[in-house]
Amino acid sequence: MKIWNNSFQNIREQFSGSGDLQIATRRKCSTAALWRSPMLLVATLIALLVFPTVSHAAKDISVPLDSYETWSEEAVEAFDRIMVQEGGRVKPMLTYSRFNMMKFLGGGTKTKFQTKDGVEHKIGSSEAMMDILFKGDRARFLPFFLVEDSAAVIQIGVSPKSKRDRYSYEELMPGRAKLAELAEKYRDKAKAHSQNKAVNPDLTLDEKMVLELGGAVSSFEFLLGQFGFARKGEMLVNEQILPDELKQLATKLDMAEMLDKMPEMTIDQLFQTIRSAAGGTEDEKMFSSAMRLFFFHANSGIGVNLIQPQDKETEKWVSVGEAMITGLEKKDNRPWAKEKMAATQKLVEAAKESDSAFVNVATEFYEGQKALAGQRNNEGKQTDREVKYYNAKYFSNSLVFFIIAFVTLALSWLSPGSGFGKWMQRITIALSVIGVLLLIWGITQRCLIRNRPPITNLYDTILFITATAVLFSLALEWFTRIGVGTMLAVFTGFVGMWLGITFEAKESSDTMGKLLAVLDTNFWLWTHVTIINIGYAAGLIAAFLGMVYLTGAFATRLMGKAKESRKFFKTLNRMTYGTVCFCLFFSLVGTVLGGIWANYSWGRFWGWDPKENGALMICLWSLVILHARMGGYIREVGINMQAIVLGVIVTFSWWGVNNLEVGLHSYGFTEGVERALHLSWSIMGLPFLLGVFLFFMDRSEKQAKLDAGRKDDLAAEGA
Amino acid sequence: MPKSKIDWSPANWPRLLFRFFSSYGLAAVVLVFLTIITLFGTYYQVDNGLIAAKRKYFTSWFLIHEFFGKFPVPLPGGLLLMLILFINMTIGAVIKVRKRWRGIGLLISHFGMLMLLAGGFVTFAFATDGNMTLYQGMKSSQVQSYRKWQIEVRPVIGENKAEKAWVIPSEALEKLDPNEGKTYDLPDLPFDVRVSQYYKNANAVPTSAPVSANAPGKEIDGFKLLQQELFTEAERNIPGCVAEFVGEDGEKAETILWGYSSKFLPDEKPMPFIFEMGGNKYAALITKKTWSVPFEVQLDKFIFEKHPGTQMARNFESRVTRMESDQPEKKVEIKMNEPMRYAGFTFFQESYGPPNAPIEEMFSQFAVAENPADQWPLWALVITGIGLAIHFVISLMEYSKKSRSNRAKS
Repeated sequence: MKIWNNSFQNIREQFSGSGDLQIATRRKCSTAALWRSPMLLVATLIALLVFPTVSHAAKDISVPLDSYETWSEEAVEAFDRIMVQEGGRVKPMLTYSRFNMMKFLGGGTKTKFQTKDGVEHKIGSSEAMMDILFKGDRARFLPFFLVEDSAAVIQIGVSPKSKRDRYSYEELMPGRAKLAELAEKYRDKAKAHSQNKAVNPDLTLDEKMVLELGGAVSSFEFLLGQFGFARKGEMLVNEQILPDELKQLATKLDMAEMLDKMPEMTIDQLFQTIRSAAGGTEDEKMFSSAMRLFFFHANSGIGVNLIQPQDKETEKWVSVGEAMITGLEKKDNRPWAKEKMAATQKLVEAAKESDSAFVNVATEFYEGQKALAGQRNNEGKQTDREVKYYNAKYFSNSLVFFIIAFVTLALSWLSPGSGFGKWMQRITIALSVIGVLLLIWGITQRCLIRNRPPITNLYDTILFITATAVLFSLALEWFTRIGVGTMLAVFTGFVGMWLGITFEAKESSDTMGKLLAVLDTNFWLWTHVTIINIGYAAGLIAAFLGMVYLTGAFATRLMGKAKESRKFFKTLNRMTYGTVCFCLFFSLVGTVLGGIWANYSWGRFWGWDPKENGALMICLWSLVILHARMGGYIREVGINMQAIVLGVIVTFSWWGVNNLEVGLHSYGFTEGVERALHLSWSIMGLPFLLGVFLFFMDRSEKQAKLDAGRKDDLAAEGA
Repeated sequence: MPKSKIDWSPANWPRLLFRFFSSYGLAAVVLVFLTIITLFGTYYQVDNGLIAAKRKYFTSWFLIHEFFGKFPVPLPGGLLLMLILFINMTIGAVIKVRKRWRGIGLLISHFGMLMLLAGGFVTFAFATDGNMTLYQGMKSSQVQSYRKWQIEVRPVIGENKAEKAWVIPSEALEKLDPNEGKTYDLPDLPFDVRVSQYYKNANAVPTSAPVSANAPGKEIDGFKLLQQELFTEAERNIPGCVAEFVGEDGEKAETILWGYSSKFLPDEKPMPFIFEMGGNKYAALITKKTWSVPFEVQLDKFIFEKHPGTQMARNFESRVTRMESDQPEKKVEIKMNEPMRYAGFTFFQESYGPPNAPIEEMFSQFAVAENPADQWPLWALVITGIGLAIHFVISLMEYSKKSRSNRAKS
């Protein structure tokens, strides 16, 4: 035990420069704490910028429903577990609902509204999806569509509410035809732009909003029509395309019975049959109408893939509409198709009956899926874990811990060196540790769900880099004990988790999607991708350390306390330099490993692809810092200024190259990060400017000393 | 302390040069410039494509960069910078550096980096790349270039069969001024070939089309060759030229040679221009450069899988038989991240087609690379990694020792 303690002590000393520095810094806490005041200001400013965007402030919207009966927790749980195949993977309905509703709600997952009885309701994405699938008659009145700017609804002839507001499907209905027309027009315009950017202009913001709204309304209608066959007579969507006699017929006709009576045919043949005018006897006319209804429901029911196919070898799941079509094609398939239709119908009817009935039927449905999955390669075996993962909210809870840690850190700065301050520091560290443990546990769950290494997409990089940065910062604090590591842990944890949550909301798509063929290799994902992202994290920490150094050094210089805080800044500089070395090691190894991977998959080690160039620039700039320091061209201020440049390069490599939209690493493209990047570069630019001032201040001080020395020499010569 | 004066006398130049090329300052400056041109080259490829960016920034000696598209600034090119870096590392980090046990790690890691740079140069100078495209059941030993086009002239013997080809290589064609053209004397052929209007990207348009009404260029058989804007992806450019075959006795034949093929399918043969000269039949065509590998590859089965219910490729792999004279046949699987390496050539699963597959029969496309430095980066990484690990351990031990002695003193 003693040996271990000694070793740790040694390492701590290595980072601190000397063993007695810790004591010195603790004694002179008030001096060292001078750097914290500008940091407090910067942190508060960032917090003020960030906090308003963390929560999606929902307005209370009155809906024309007399009351709203909330789904029971048990019903929601039973629904969440049902498996569905989407995007090439089997996932729980919870995930399906979450990301589909996010698309409607502009990245949010909650819908708030008030019914006529004056009761306020707040429902989650699962409840919203249950309403849409099973209680469409009330879902039509709920405000699921977030319109960022009322200009979008004005374009389609709907009377606007406030500038940014939520609308229900019913409220948008008057403009539905216009919306479809404009959405098609703008889709063509966007396509033309993507084909030739130089000639064809991009969509304006308003046009983009209309296009997005059009997509959201179509998706809503698609979901609304899924189980239409099971709701006798309740069309809910596209009913205007059906003549009255068909609507009447729909109230009586049982689609499963209808399936039995139909001749074997493909859906195309059915289409041709119903297109030809019905003639003959009344019965024949009636049968022709029934076939039209069958076609309508089968088509509306395509999309939500809840059903495992008959053939055990086929991986693609089917929707109830496809089951109906499969039954139509061959009489042999009809018992299976009818069984699936009946199971779906039971779900719909149970949802109408009561929550307890729904729990039983949904559980039975899920158990049926599980039993079949057991015979079929055990697909979806991690869906229960996925439900737990989303319900546990590891990342938003982690953010909460970092926010509290932020507050306790700020409190500790109010009285540095006092007992209160020290306790606040300890609490901050404890909260940061809990925050990062939650984050790591969440990442681990994601790995287990996918059976993949921690990073497979951009969202994963945010989580991984945040965890690495927080751990690295805490390790720095362990070795140096000067408070900077704690501050960085809180800051990177807070910003990283906020970024992760914002990114997920902005993308509003499954973050555990399937991989492209080239990425389907756990070996390279574990090695190259993980290592290079550790390098990114270290580069960012180096930049933050540089920012702290320059801001703090400038402040202490202004206060005339530069001499007293000399040791503190020397330690800080060592931290920056050590972190740059760490960044170089991981970036270099990661980049070369990436080259080796590229040589295996694309046939060349290096292709000057933007992502490769980004990684190369990190290595090159780290080497610039090392060689310039060794050659004596840069000293403390220079190292820290260059560390900030390194941070800019890391952010460019991490996010910026994706926006260039060229290269083989095209799986990382994302939109709208340019503004955020420019903002981050501006923030990093401010301490860099302070570094420029410090450089000139240093130079003039040295010049003054030289001049004074010369004067003394002259005086001595004169004497 | 007074600064020591530098001795600029010619006798001291070798020493000064040695000092200059081994300095940290030179290393830092070269690395800064490398970072800058890497950044500029990255942005340049957005509008101009990768090949153009490589040529201008990464494989050049010097370049002129237009800041904001307006202000020209001369900069050193990637090739020059990497050469200087190589010299700097060799002299500074290997020759000049004090050989101590303490520095052994850094010495080794610099060796690794030198090897990486050397590998890059060998690849740049000697590596070739092309592709081979096969339908199921088809076999070939021919590799086709992605971007290099050449003119081939063949005497046609018997029933449209040609045994030997005369080639005007791509290097010569690419240097041609479209407005001037050039005459080539192909040895042993009874005529010269005059190539004019060579456009790297061209379109042959009937003169009846409005677009060709006022277009410059020669009209041949009711067609004109029009110059097209270059694609940023150089592979998409389809060149064309006007070729005139002039016999010794003034006999003439002329045509438009155009590299276009209706589908670019693997079994599609380019249409040659057939003409007679001195009583013999000849065929001329513009086609992509091809070369042979010393074995044949037969595609037995192509497997293409998508993630269920999506258009996203999950796996594409080719089961092939490698055939070579005097060698037993060998069954090999080639898939993403698992290439076939044999006889100095590497076959990678690159792509598949046609675009409307699998409605039409699918083919598999392999990237075929021949690179003498293929595995050098791997060895360079191993060497650098070992070097850095040794350096890290030595540094840690030294720090630990120093700290212990400091504590003992205090």
